[in-house]
Amino acid sequence: MWYFIFRRTAGFVATLFVVSAVVFSVMNILPGDPALTILGLDATDDALAALREQLGLNQPVLARYVSWVWNALQGDFGISHSFRVPVSELIAERLPMTVSLAVAGMIFTLVIALSLGIGAAARHRKVGDWGVMFISQIGIAVPAFWLSMLLVLLFAVKLRWLPPGGFAGWSDPVAAMRSLVLPTIALGVVQSAVLARVTRSSALEVMRQDFVRTARASGLSRRRVLWRHVLPNALVPIVTIVGMQFAALVTGTIVIENVFYLPGLGRLIFQSISNRDLPTVQALVMLFAAIVVTANFVVDLLYVVIDPRLKART
Amino acid sequence: MFQLADFSVSFGTATALRRATLDIRQGDRLGIVGESGSGKTMLALALMGMAPDAAKIGGRLTIDGQDMTHASERTWQQMRARRVAMIFQEPMSALNPLRRIGDTMMEPLIVHEGLSRAQAQARVLALFEEVGIPDPAARLRMFPHELSGGQRQRVLIALALACNPALLIADEPTTALDANVALRITDLLVRLARERGMALVFITHDLAAVARTTKDIVVMYGGDMIERGPTAQVLAAPAHPYTQGLLAARPDPTVPPRDATGKRRRLPTLPGTVPPLAALPQGCRFSGRCSVELPQCAGTRPTDHAVDPDRSAACHLLGAAP
Amino acid sequence: MTRRLPVNFILGAVLVALVVGTAALSLVWTPHDATQMAISNKFAAPSATHWLGTDQLGRDVLSQLMAGARNSMAVALVAVLLGGSVGVALGLLASALGGWVEDGVMRLADLGFAFPALLFAIMLAAVFGPSLTNAVLAIAFINIPVFARVTRGAANQVWTLDYVLAARAAGMNRFAISRDHILPNIAAAIIVQATIEFAVAILAEAALSYLGLGAQPPASSWGRLLSEAQTLMYIAPQLAIYPGLCIVVAVVGFGLLGDGLRDMSDPRLSRER
Ligand SMILES: Nc1ncnc2c1ncn2[C@@H]1O[C@H](COP(=O)(O)OP(=O)(O)O)[C@@H](O)[C@H]1O
Ligand code: SF4
Ligand SMILES: [Mg+2]
Repeated sequence: MWYFIFRRTAGFVATLFVVSAVVFSVMNILPGDPALTILGLDATDDALAALREQLGLNQPVLARYVSWVWNALQGDFGISHSFRVPVSELIAERLPMTVSLAVAGMIFTLVIALSLGIGAAARHRKVGDWGVMFISQIGIAVPAFWLSMLLVLLFAVKLRWLPPGGFAGWSDPVAAMRSLVLPTIALGVVQSAVLARVTRSSALEVMRQDFVRTARASGLSRRRVLWRHVLPNALVPIVTIVGMQFAALVTGTIVIENVFYLPGLGRLIFQSISNRDLPTVQALVMLFAAIVVTANFVVDLLYVVIDPRLKART
Repeated sequence: MFQLADFSVSFGTATALRRATLDIRQGDRLGIVGESGSGKTMLALALMGMAPDAAKIGGRLTIDGQDMTHASERTWQQMRARRVAMIFQEPMSALNPLRRIGDTMMEPLIVHEGLSRAQAQARVLALFEEVGIPDPAARLRMFPHELSGGQRQRVLIALALACNPALLIADEPTTALDANVALRITDLLVRLARERGMALVFITHDLAAVARTTKDIVVMYGGDMIERGPTAQVLAAPAHPYTQGLLAARPDPTVPPRDATGKRRRLPTLPGTVPPLAALPQGCRFSGRCSVELPQCAGTRPTDHAVDPDRSAACHLLGAAP
Repeated sequence: MTRRLPVNFILGAVLVALVVGTAALSLVWTPHDATQMAISNKFAAPSATHWLGTDQLGRDVLSQLMAGARNSMAVALVAVLLGGSVGVALGLLASALGGWVEDGVMRLADLGFAFPALLFAIMLAAVFGPSLTNAVLAIAFINIPVFARVTRGAANQVWTLDYVLAARAAGMNRFAISRDHILPNIAAAIIVQATIEFAVAILAEAALSYLGLGAQPPASSWGRLLSEAQTLMYIAPQLAIYPGLCIVVAVVGFGLLGDGLRDMSDPRLSRER
């Protein structure tokens, strides 16, 4: 088991380095002059030269990469051009927004998907099952940003129950929760639809196994068998998907934050693109990619915790 | 205690169990034998109220005088484990792989008898002692994959006995085990049934095991109960052509049940194969494969004919004889 | 074979035919010029001349949606073809050569999953400025690992078949075998995947265009139409409805078609899904 954990950790660290190299290459090596991108075509030669100097563009590429990684490891992502503050400060300021949204989306996804998936499996080939399958087919196809607009139309414009966008921080928890309701739903629906289907088929697989019959033969109620015996076993394959889904939710926040004008990292990325703020974009892309990689790594480790058979084998 | 009268289980046109009649009393040890697909498991599941949802049920099933034919799931939950319990063929897969043995064992005790964890644990240790599991305290913390097949089957037996059922159904409990272990498990079941005064239904296609364990026997074919009586008498002088064939096709006891690659050998069968359920003849299920076969066999279902005062068989041959 | 066509295949085929047909029709005919403005006639209600009404600039909504279908199909087609062919080639290569080449390709494929299309598009947009080309490249890029995996998995199975072994024994070169024996054998799996990825690509294009990283004005794209509609939600909510419906129909159509094709090519896979 320890060997397994060690190998996975080594792989994880290696992946992070390769990802950072890819991000750095795309942002720095591809044809194009970052200084020109940042300042625009009408910049003077002097200004361009000064900016190149400041960005370290005159140093060799490899040296720039090493110093970027080295500084990033110490939490220093350079200075944002447009905001004129350290990128790390910008990130620290907006991270809570994005994390709140992603975590809320994950909770929503798990609650909805596990209940729908297990419920559908329990009603296999009955109306409830078909209903869940149908709704999830639609749910997968609905673009999150369009769903957001529909939700805003209904709950903010027509019914006026919830705010159409914005987020004022957690100092007023009730207001904060209210502003998060619609974004969370919009973010979570697609992933819930996917996960509900996976849960259903995984649960059906488990329900065919002998130990489920044993549990029923011991006089346990269907409910108890379903939640205490079927669900934990169905979770084993689900865990992989959940890791990818958390990653998808985190990148999904980029879209959702822009629909609902939420001041998180996703908004920041877009502001930085329009401000041609390359160091900020580079740092944020790296951060998002790192979250995706980390989520998958954590899932690998979770496997060992969940399944005692793996503990013995690996 | 348990009575089936003209009890049937069918899936559309396929009848998995046809007009079964059975009376199980306290202390009975009853063997059910027949080839694969003859409906033995279906009979056992019916006695547990666990026939598949898709099945249509006819006739009458009573437990302790209470009509359970169409009883609700809730009513059955009260019966299972406490009146009737069952152990299954595959001990390898019959235990939840993610749960410690102790948690699996204590669950019915806590749910049904409202015991505390400590009380439940004491009961489980006693049960493990009773079924011959060495070092019971250590087993409680183990996961199923850490036990051997024989040990797992003992755990399943202990689990079935946890709430002191009046009837224990063992559905081919030894088919997946090797011969030595199988023998010990069979003897354990008989001992437990005797000591507890518990009825035992022992399902198998191993005629030697039936001879060792049971007092009475029911032979099944194609969903019909075709011959019944005291085990020794039936095996010594079978009356039904199918039972005769079954005995003749008995496996050579010197051949191990698994081949060199570890795959189980094909079960001994009579010449020909069991037709699929829906294709079985309407009359005697055995017609078409029977070496005797009378003109009326395929169309008319033979009724039970007494062979001895306490033996009967369902075959037109016996009705035709004076 | 007398087996009935799967329901999802039939439904998917009908929806796909509708969308593709509309896109094709828009090449030769739309009720009006999709980009022609008529400010005096803005927010017109549906009528005989403008079946779905007009938008904030008096443009015909139906014509824009038809042009959007064309745009959607073109982007998805190019992106899936591009990413698919690179992915299939890599998968075949990995399967044919095995060893460290296979390991390397699969590691790279793992890495691809760290970059959702959106992140890639963001990087390209930051460096080169937003454009439809960058969006297509980003979507094509995420298709590479998907197809590489599917191809390699399916190809590895074919490599063990008798007649492939025979071809190898006869001294046929690995690349020739890949082309003549492996590829035709795994074509079904690739087509199924391509259909499903088509649906994913439509969604991705819509999202990127909505965020301003894809189709640029005045090009009509369902995603862009939605981002314009968002600012008008209080005045003209209907404009926010149609493009979204188009996306859902197209995505559901290709998704069902892919599922149906898979059910037909391998009934075992479909049984309990
Ligand atoms: N859900 C079901 N639908 C249709 N037929 C079934 C179902 N379950 C079992 N059967 C049929 O019932 C018959 C009896 O099976 P079973 O009781 O398992 O036989 P045995 O235990 O004697 O080998 C078999 O022919 C089987 O195909
Ligand atoms: S009833 Fe007829 S077919 Fe059936 S066993 Fe008797 S003789 Fe054979
Ligand atoms: Mg059986």
